[in-house]
Amino acid sequence: MVFNSLTFAVFFACVLVLHRLPFSWTAKKINLLIASYLFYAAWNPPFVILLWVSTVVDWWAAKALVRAQRPVERRAWMLLSLFANLGMLGFFKYGQFLLDNFSALMSMLGVAYQPAHYSIVLPVGISFYTFATMSYTLDVYLRRAVPARHFLDYALFVTFFPHLVAGPIMRPTELVPQFAEPRSVSKQQLCFGLALMTLGLFQKVVLADGFLAGIAERVYDRDVIPGALDAWAATLAFGGQIFCDFAGYSTTAIGAAMCLGFAMPDNFRFPYAAVGFSDFWRRWHITLSSWLRDYLYIPLGGNRHGEARTYFALLATMLLGGLWHGASWTFVAWGGLHGIYLAAERRLRTHFAGYRPGPAALLGLGLLTYFLIQLTWVFFRAKTFTKAGVVLRGLFGLNAPSAPIVPGIELLLVVAIISGLVGAHWLMRTRTLESVLARAPAALLAGVWAALAFAIIIEQGAGNAFIYFQF
Amino acid sequence: MPSSISSSEITTTRPGFVRLTASDRPGVAQPVPVRDIPAQPWPRILAAALSLVLVAMGAWEWRTRALGLQPGDLDDGPSFWAEQRRRLDRGDVKIAILGDSRILYDTDLDRFESLTGVRPVQLAIAGSNALPFLEDLASAVRFNGLAIVGITDRSYFREGAGLGGPALERYRFESPAVRTSFLLHRGLSRALAFLDDNYRLNRLVRHLDEGWRTGAQFPVPERLWKLGTVMDERQTFIWARLENDPRVRAHQRSTWGRVVPPVSAAKILNTVERTRVAVAKIRARGGEVVFVRPPSALELRVYEEETVPRTRGWDRLLESADVRGVHFADDPAMQGLVLPEYSHLSRACATVFTDAYVRAVAKLTPWLTLSPRAPPLLSPADCTAAGTGLKPPLRHGGS
Repeated sequence: MVFNSLTFAVFFACVLVLHRLPFSWTAKKINLLIASYLFYAAWNPPFVILLWVSTVVDWWAAKALVRAQRPVERRAWMLLSLFANLGMLGFFKYGQFLLDNFSALMSMLGVAYQPAHYSIVLPVGISFYTFATMSYTLDVYLRRAVPARHFLDYALFVTFFPHLVAGPIMRPTELVPQFAEPRSVSKQQLCFGLALMTLGLFQKVVLADGFLAGIAERVYDRDVIPGALDAWAATLAFGGQIFCDFAGYSTTAIGAAMCLGFAMPDNFRFPYAAVGFSDFWRRWHITLSSWLRDYLYIPLGGNRHGEARTYFALLATMLLGGLWHGASWTFVAWGGLHGIYLAAERRLRTHFAGYRPGPAALLGLGLLTYFLIQLTWVFFRAKTFTKAGVVLRGLFGLNAPSAPIVPGIELLLVVAIISGLVGAHWLMRTRTLESVLARAPAALLAGVWAALAFAIIIEQGAGNAFIYFQF
Repeated sequence: MPSSISSSEITTTRPGFVRLTASDRPGVAQPVPVRDIPAQPWPRILAAALSLVLVAMGAWEWRTRALGLQPGDLDDGPSFWAEQRRRLDRGDVKIAILGDSRILYDTDLDRFESLTGVRPVQLAIAGSNALPFLEDLASAVRFNGLAIVGITDRSYFREGAGLGGPALERYRFESPAVRTSFLLHRGLSRALAFLDDNYRLNRLVRHLDEGWRTGAQFPVPERLWKLGTVMDERQTFIWARLENDPRVRAHQRSTWGRVVPPVSAAKILNTVERTRVAVAKIRARGGEVVFVRPPSALELRVYEEETVPRTRGWDRLLESADVRGVHFADDPAMQGLVLPEYSHLSRACATVFTDAYVRAVAKLTPWLTLSPRAPPLLSPADCTAAGTGLKPPLRHGGS
């Protein structure tokens, strides 16, 4: 189920009530585990089996890893876990993509090969929970963590519904210890958790779905050739939409976990105020970028084996990171573009090692970063390279004069929402939300909270899935 | 008073950052996260916010009722349609209505039932092409009754399923979560008037734009204001305010697309052939199909004729697909009905039209018989005189 649905509202109310009843800690954890399976099954019940497979394989692999004496044996168990998880991911997410590309390759070689088209349904959130379970086995293999003592704690780490289908991608060391000891929830935690959920849902329901999604669709989902104004309006709108959608999900998830007494890490830190691309990736989808860094970039050599190897590791990580987002070459291009940005930045930083930008230069570099990031969203949003090319040409005013597409009020909405969003990110650049809220007058907080909740209620929403569910 | 809900403490910081994240700790086990709770009286803030929300909701409910919205007006949508469609899978449905908004808005299910003793399942859907739905019905092995297909030529002879496409997908797969949300929303809609898809915040904001940017218009479905009132079993009538408020009526009239390029001969041929195949499938199971063309005002009809002339569309469809049909222009009992916004009948005239077309269909096929207790025949005067004050300057176009 999605957070922005009436089903979730009822579900979460029931979970909260159950969690506050005077059950034993074990009983509470069992309740949470059952609730999490219900949360997942509410989408498509049979896919719970995949969740179980992923859970059980890594539980036993990690146990066997610890018992194993020889390095080769340890490596074998680690590889078993990787094959099981990546095999599942590969089949469900990339099976058709691989077949189609194989067929295209054969065709280029003059071999007529037409594979059957399989209607493979992508299990929701599979990319997220496979990464979470893999991090468990990998942390044990890398001796960064010890296996969970109780299967219940481990199963709950994999399945805990706030992070299950769209992250933040949790590491075992972040969550398993929280299940090991009884935790109580104070009224402060409960109320502030609800405030965070309201903020997250406002971003998702009102800003992303209500106002911004439709503007991007006008250009990206229709057979139109946009001029510069329309191309920019749609692309900026999508840049805002994907932030509000995903950061909204993460904020709601963090709030939901807090209401139950658990802490989840930040996943976004005002990324549109980033100066440079390495800074951007320390602010955008932090739990994914750090996962890729720890389990892909560093094992590929990181920056420990010379410049050439570093650039290779960087590009490979970003290309695979792009592919993680979807089985399409446009996502690979998106990742590749980010890889090139990061490599170029690394080069420039080496060249201008002593340079420290002043306030104006910082702002200029920040805006340049923002501009270049928006260009990458074109590949992320367009379904084909042809469409991406059309929009890119539009962004640079290279399309022939064409009919206006985006209505006037939507241009105003883009200007208002995106300038508000980017401005807020710059104001919050070196702060946390909590530090600002701590200084605000209580009456103002109540008024803003009520306004956000009221906007959610009258926007109503249609229970649209979060963009990242498909990844 | 910053407090942690975590048992571990992180003391190191990155300059300018209050809280570290995994991005600051490469290649190590990530510790249990720490989340600060701002030192504020959160329970009191929550109570105040809740009070404000309740007051605002009350005011909004009052305002939307003043605008003509009513509790019990259920939003139509894919789940509602899918729910009705599943009734066919039980195998005991005798009559199903397919089509677009015209047959949807212009059919009074109560009148239909009182005339025939059978209550049809309403499967027409606004903004849709009936053909993919007819094909779906043809593949529904448990349906062997009468399908009444409402036709709007422009919709029927176009590509794709139109706005109703998601409904078919929802019928084929509806997750438990979506189904539950639909049921909860329907329950709330019976009590709250403001729960109306047409009065969502973003739609209200977008409706402020009255052509601000020359040449950049919203598509017709987005330009439309609220058009109908939906009740149980998807019984849908035109919204009362369209009959009573000249401003709203004028807006809707101005919204309908006028000039649409003529449909190609190839498209017509393809549509007719697909129809023939679907009808043959239904007949092979013992069922039957009848077409109905509900009225539209002359102001629209002239443009509709330019897109698909009756001789190339309707007439050819009946002939080539070997089906029978009722065209409003051929029946005196369907003349002079009130179409407030040119495309759909007034509430009262929907009953009169239903009365007329049910009687006409009953003459065409033994599948529909009038009940011995059927109420007396209605005439256009029953809705044009007693109805809305809208007299028939809103003419129908004859063929």
